[in-house]
Amino acid sequence: MTKQELQPDQKEDQAGQPMQNQQEKWKKKEPILAEEIQEAYRRFEKARNILHTAGNVGVGETPNEILVEKRAYRLLHYQQRVNRTARTPILVVYALINRSYVLDLQPDKSWIRSLLSQGFDVYLIDWKAPTAADKYVSFDDYVNSHIDDCVETVLQKNKVEKLTLHGYCMGGTMSTMYTALHQDKVRNLAVIAPVIDGQRDFTVIGNLAKNMDVDKMLQVTGNLQSEQLYAFYLTLKPFKQGINKYLNFLQNIDNEQFVDNFLRLEKWLYDTPPIAGETFRQWVSDIYQKNLLVKNEMKLSDKIVDLSMIKVPLLNVIADEDHLVSPECSAPLNDVVSSTDKRLMRFHTGHVGLIASLYSQNNVLPKVGQWLVARSQ
Amino acid sequence: MIENDNANRTQEFMQEQVNKVFEFWSGNLKLPTIGPVYAFSKDFTSFANDFVTLGKVMIELKSNMDSYWSLLGTAYTRAITDTVEQAPTQIAKKEDFEKYRRAAIEAFEESFTDLFTSSEFSEVHGKLLGTQLNLSRVMQSILEKNLKTLNLPTRSEVDEILKDIAELKRDMRDMKRSLEARNDQARIAT
Repeated sequence: MTKQELQPDQKEDQAGQPMQNQQEKWKKKEPILAEEIQEAYRRFEKARNILHTAGNVGVGETPNEILVEKRAYRLLHYQQRVNRTARTPILVVYALINRSYVLDLQPDKSWIRSLLSQGFDVYLIDWKAPTAADKYVSFDDYVNSHIDDCVETVLQKNKVEKLTLHGYCMGGTMSTMYTALHQDKVRNLAVIAPVIDGQRDFTVIGNLAKNMDVDKMLQVTGNLQSEQLYAFYLTLKPFKQGINKYLNFLQNIDNEQFVDNFLRLEKWLYDTPPIAGETFRQWVSDIYQKNLLVKNEMKLSDKIVDLSMIKVPLLNVIADEDHLVSPECSAPLNDVVSSTDKRLMRFHTGHVGLIASLYSQNNVLPKVGQWLVARSQ
Repeated sequence: MIENDNANRTQEFMQEQVNKVFEFWSGNLKLPTIGPVYAFSKDFTSFANDFVTLGKVMIELKSNMDSYWSLLGTAYTRAITDTVEQAPTQIAKKEDFEKYRRAAIEAFEESFTDLFTSSEFSEVHGKLLGTQLNLSRVMQSILEKNLKTLNLPTRSEVDEILKDIAELKRDMRDMKRSLEARNDQARIAT
């Protein structure tokens, strides 16, 4: 570049358009890099606008009616989509971590919708966020009061004597406890990734739980606050979930379907109510630290939860890549129950992929549905 | 290894010194627990103990925080070393940058997941969390004493009531269930 060629730009700079000219100059010098930077800026801008209104993204849209509403929960009854072919209703027990709409995240990845399409009558316990006044609410209250009340309501509404109890994660653990104590009301127990053998949980959560002083936590903080849960989430796949996920989001910002899926799951991941203090204390102390559940020594109120008492058909669905509940922690349920009809299904996916993904729709749900249909007439 | 041993020794030494200071002040604050001296000094003793405990907890917190950050620092160093080994040495094309990003994410993920699933981290995390809770507890105790002057029920008193309500609810539930069972039996019998 000669001196003569540079002179006109310098004159324009003095005339008050330095930025534009510098950009033009740079484009000529490094055309590919300049384009990349412009493209990255465009993606950032688009992502910023999308995330600004992302809170309105629709979740849990399968039509339902609220059958019962109490301070602790709402019992939802879903509208049928096809003629009911299964006589035994299904009561889905969701976990106490995050919100139940992950089971109905979006129409093409909805666990609930798939069960309805397979001819089941589906109910769901949607837990409400506990307040500071619920500090002493325990598993005894969840299992023997709330789940039992919901079971009674469903049995009366459907005029049947037994139902299928279907729990996910912590909800799977609570469903197992309930079945051990109230087997006369349960026809089938179908659980997905339940926490059963705390000592064989090799996840980050299992590891941190081992040295947590939960008695002190209950005394000082009361309920386990959302912020404390977010701090735990940060230790789970910190770079793949914490950084790479957002880089992928930026890269796929023009792919509407990708963005839609991302927003729904992201909304769920950070929609975290607190956990009642005493329940959390029992969860960590009794299940992870002392491992009482699998030893048949856990007590709810004055009753021992003896898993060997379970004789109903059992389906235990686990994920090989589960980073929240180790498959080794869930699988022992099949060894401790006395059921003769029991099945362990393993899938090559993760904790959320097991219930809210296309993989789950194509591979998990057809098999789960088949198992349930055969035992719901 | 030598660095870790030195760090542990320094931490033990610090802990020992803190305990000595704490014991010295606790000893100085020992007053009769009956009689007129007790009657006039009980609030002072209680406040003084809280402040001495607060100082002790804060030093413990600093020590546990150091251990925590030391573990994070080691994991970070390992991740950086692994990234340098696995990532392309020259970044000339866009694909090179992409490869670098993948190598870095893998290295950091592996290093930090190994840390978070280690028993050492679990212990240090447990201690740190415990000290943070101790700090909150002392501050709550100081605040609670101050709030008593407003003549309102304190947090501990409300807490007792919450516990009673939770137990009463369970008793009510059990009574209701047993009554229902009795009614059902009576219905079957007739």
